[in-house]
Amino acid sequence: MNTRSLALSHDILMKIEKPARYIGGELNSTMKEKARVKLRFAMCFPDVYEIGMSHLGMQILYGMFNEMEDVWCERVFSPWVDLDQILRREQIPLFALESQEPVSRFDFLGFTLQYEMCYTNVLQVLELSGIPLSAKERTWKDPIVIGGGPCIYNPEPIADFFDLIYVGEGETRYRELFDLYLACREEGVSREEFLHRAGRIGGIYAPNLYHVTYAQDGTVQGMTPEYEDLPKTIRKETVTDLDAAYYPLKPIVPFIRATQDRIVLEVQRGCIRGCRFCQAGQIYKPIRERSVETLKRYAGELMKNTGYEEISLSSLSTSDYTGLQELLEYLIAECSARKINVSLPSLRIDAFSLDVMNKVQDVRKSSLTFAPEAGSQRMRDIINKGLTKEDILHGAKMAFEGGWNKVKLYFMLGLPQEEDADITAIADLCNDIAALYYETVPKENRQGRIQITASTSFFIPKPFTAFQWAPMNGMEEFVRKAMLTKNSIMEKLNKKSISYHWHEAGTSVMEGILARGDRRVGKVILDAYRHGCIYDAWTEQYHHDRWMEAFERQGLDWEFYILRERAADEVFPWDFIDCGVTKRYLLREWERAKKGETTSNCREQCSGCGAASYQCGICISAR
Amino acid sequence: MSTTLRIKFERTGPVCYIGHLDMMRYFQKAVMRAGIDVRYSEGFNPHQIMSFAYPLGVSMETRGDYFDIDVLSYPDCETIADQLNGVMADGIRVISVTALPEGAKNAMASVAAADYLVSCPALTDDMLQQFLLRKEIIIAKETGKKTSMEDIRPGIFALELREDHMLFMKLKSGSDGNIKPAAVLGALSEIFSIETDSDRIIRLEIYGKDGEGTLVPLG
Repeated sequence: MNTRSLALSHDILMKIEKPARYIGGELNSTMKEKARVKLRFAMCFPDVYEIGMSHLGMQILYGMFNEMEDVWCERVFSPWVDLDQILRREQIPLFALESQEPVSRFDFLGFTLQYEMCYTNVLQVLELSGIPLSAKERTWKDPIVIGGGPCIYNPEPIADFFDLIYVGEGETRYRELFDLYLACREEGVSREEFLHRAGRIGGIYAPNLYHVTYAQDGTVQGMTPEYEDLPKTIRKETVTDLDAAYYPLKPIVPFIRATQDRIVLEVQRGCIRGCRFCQAGQIYKPIRERSVETLKRYAGELMKNTGYEEISLSSLSTSDYTGLQELLEYLIAECSARKINVSLPSLRIDAFSLDVMNKVQDVRKSSLTFAPEAGSQRMRDIINKGLTKEDILHGAKMAFEGGWNKVKLYFMLGLPQEEDADITAIADLCNDIAALYYETVPKENRQGRIQITASTSFFIPKPFTAFQWAPMNGMEEFVRKAMLTKNSIMEKLNKKSISYHWHEAGTSVMEGILARGDRRVGKVILDAYRHGCIYDAWTEQYHHDRWMEAFERQGLDWEFYILRERAADEVFPWDFIDCGVTKRYLLREWERAKKGETTSNCREQCSGCGAASYQCGICISAR
Repeated sequence: MSTTLRIKFERTGPVCYIGHLDMMRYFQKAVMRAGIDVRYSEGFNPHQIMSFAYPLGVSMETRGDYFDIDVLSYPDCETIADQLNGVMADGIRVISVTALPEGAKNAMASVAAADYLVSCPALTDDMLQQFLLRKEIIIAKETGKKTSMEDIRPGIFALELREDHMLFMKLKSGSDGNIKPAAVLGALSEIFSIETDSDRIIRLEIYGKDGEGTLVPLG
């Protein structure tokens, strides 16, 4: 019955936090006989189990790979710091959850890179697995280390650590890559020759077979492949028909509570909006919808196969899904019969969404979310956030009339062209919303004071956005702006109704450096890791000083990567990636932003971004 | 109208490393997957009416633990057991399902005793006899910040050494006084200066009392 034995001893499991993170065996996890498979893939989310298990992309690839008879895909996560120390001290190799066998025995080790601050955790996983950190030192004894996910739209800072990078959506090319691998192993070719051949598959980049040169001013001059038949540009892979794509209908259900402890239904991929700060909006273009029929069927299957008590819709902007009304009506009816909660994503506040929220949430307890991103209209035009103050106030008024009295507002500080007046406008907006509440709701109907929560994050320019040329603020400027926001809120009449939170400045600065860094940053990542940096995405684990010291030791100027405005003709480290959206279009958007000109969304009018070259989604359907 | 079903289950192998709350959440999902017509509480966030007899500590294996659910309808007990076993994760199995008579006490309130098995190679029959002859066995018990002394002897109903150095214990349990197997092992260790391991304990059965006060398995 229970033949699985665990990699960790009983004593270790009893010493660490949440031992269930490391035992595997969850419902719908896949066990195979290793003698019967030809290829073993260790899929890693380089963060703690509860975070990694909440990621849909991992469930998609896990399910898809395990449907292949000759492949066994298992999972690996970063051991939390308590176990990390024990593994190092007792020299226990890192293992995959299903077989509990060392990662080093696998054919592939795949990382999904969802945020830059996980890079030191990639090194942690490699080191604990006994795999050389530098790709150049690896032999056939080591797994092929491959990376994917949004961060690899600039893979250069981590290029040293990866054998291969998969650019784009994972559904399309893995079978081809596996077949090539199996053929190469049978043929007995060198590891480099395999990487060379893999680099000719669409969307696959073999970073160490490319040589980067730098100009005098420190910017990238060019990139040359070591083999003539390797492509100069790597074109992103895209699923053209989402209805036909694989979807995990039997996702793994963790024993312990994951961050995303519910059914996730991905309604569409991509976004019609052209918010100029948003990377996801560009790299997942064009928007492709799943049909309502497909989603209804998936929902039913998922409820039956998981037993979750909650379902949520996922996409970059669910309000833009054309079948939303039909889908939600169906789900609400179906779910209330089965006592399942429908958890709504942050929908645009209008009569429809308020009506839906009223049906599925307790109005007194739930809060409304607005993401104006900036306080002033001038700033919202610069970032092309198609949301006006009137929209917000109108939505809020309707909500107050419907009984809501909690409002959450999200803003960014440090946006391009920002002036102090744009920051104080955040306080104005919060105050106006509070005032509107007292105007709208008569005293006898009020459930206490209105509660407004304003949160600010710091703007980080990302590759493949209109703001990839933009300067970023430094630490002191960020802190000053957060204080200015706080103080201007404190001056308002309704200050007692407004609470203010801001994001850590140090991690934002570091994320900015890693996001737009070049290949030279790799040695800083390695240095920082060697000096104890790990779990940088966790505020309490983050050490800004260690990172700054690493830059100093490596003789690299971090300011170069974030503080300057980049010239229109600068060659970026990530220019060799073709994500559909062209640099010419992004530059045009950058120029328009500086003039405060807005651009229409994909549904209103095509603005010629270049994603139409994929011939799918909204680019080929009637608007 | 609803019926309370008492579900007896076992848990063995790696899955023992999940905690009690996660075990509850696991069974809530299993009940959903099995498509059981379970009764929900009233209110805005309805939850399944489910109660566990005795929390299972992390790493404790069980051959006989219990929880109750209220169902609005059900085909028969065997079908419910089959439905649940059709949707279990490795290492967890439903042993039996019984319908409780109306007005029966819930699983937790019924608990009076439990059987345990633990490997105890250092313990001899002699030691065990000496131990059982003691009129009182006082241990220090920590309740919050205070430490009080407690006599656990009356709560030890039976101790036996079985094959392969396995120590069997029948201990008083429930809200009315609860003796933990680790407390007994601790006392043995202290009195005879032997090593005991209280981490790998197997719970074999949980008992309630019948009308005459005799211990009977919960389901």
